[in-house]
Amino acid sequence: MTLPQAIPFLNWSWDYFLFLNLALVLLGSAVMTVLGRNIIHSGLWMMLCFAALAGMYVLLQAPLVDAAQVLIYIGAISVLVLFAIMLTQTKFGPARLIFHRQATSAALAAIVLAALLLIVVVDTDWPGQLTAAAHTATDALARLLFDRYVLPFEVVSILLLAAVIGGVYLAKREPDEPSEI
Amino acid sequence: MSITGILEFIGRWFRLDVFVALVIASLLAGVVIWIGGPFLTLSDGSQGVVPGLDGYLFIAGALFSIGVFGFLARRNAISMLMSIELMVNAVNLAIIAFGAFIPALTTHASVIALVVMAVAAAEATVGLAIVIAIFRNRRTPLVDEYSAMSE
Repeated sequence: MTLPQAIPFLNWSWDYFLFLNLALVLLGSAVMTVLGRNIIHSGLWMMLCFAALAGMYVLLQAPLVDAAQVLIYIGAISVLVLFAIMLTQTKFGPARLIFHRQATSAALAAIVLAALLLIVVVDTDWPGQLTAAAHTATDALARLLFDRYVLPFEVVSILLLAAVIGGVYLAKREPDEPSEI
Repeated sequence: MSITGILEFIGRWFRLDVFVALVIASLLAGVVIWIGGPFLTLSDGSQGVVPGLDGYLFIAGALFSIGVFGFLARRNAISMLMSIELMVNAVNLAIIAFGAFIPALTTHASVIALVVMAVAAAEATVGLAIVIAIFRNRRTPLVDEYSAMSE
């Protein structure tokens, strides 16, 4: 049994079907990250959002970025965020008000921004098809990264080192401080 | 009912089980079409509709707007940092989409996305360390109670 080229009745390709599913998961989990009352649940929704983004990268044929997304975002940053949430939980539980008083104007600003972006995206004439040779070869990427973009690479490594040292210094407890975090 | 009330209502009732049911229903529809497709043969052998660059860019824009709303509206400092992560990810998605659809940018887009990821990791580290350091003094993660600067 062979897979039909396109989905019958709807005339969608399978890529389009996967794209719609991933977009549903992505936007739904992002909304829940922002609106959820329990902040630990927000963190877990954020992990789901990153996973859906990794699926998008597979659809866009960028395997190395996809692997980096899984490793860095789902593996490292989410765990960091969850640990920070657990370190800053107060014993009063989740706050009664999760939004500021200016949440209405913030919602209006976000909606206006989304509408502007939608207008720009719809009005521009984009190049149409996914290029067949778009598949990112890893050796070409490595050649580019370590040859032409070697200065940004080194700058980023120094930035990461500085961030690690700064993070340790900021989060370190003072010696004479009461230890009841 | 204000907009804030509606948003909090959505946040309370749009739960995991509803969401998972939606996604599973969609995937099941796909499986049914997959199995039933060869018997139907209504497709005329064409490629069908493929997702275009504008679809990806619209998803990225919507994700960025959601992040903007979260950054402006949430009271918890860690929620604000999570919203920043959402915005960075939206930009990354747009970069990768441009790289996939414009042949001259393909490998460049991947390099830029990796650099953006590294910078986002550094930003998350420092931001969370700052939040923890402030929490140790003020005993709360809510940013509207950090009013020492304005007093």
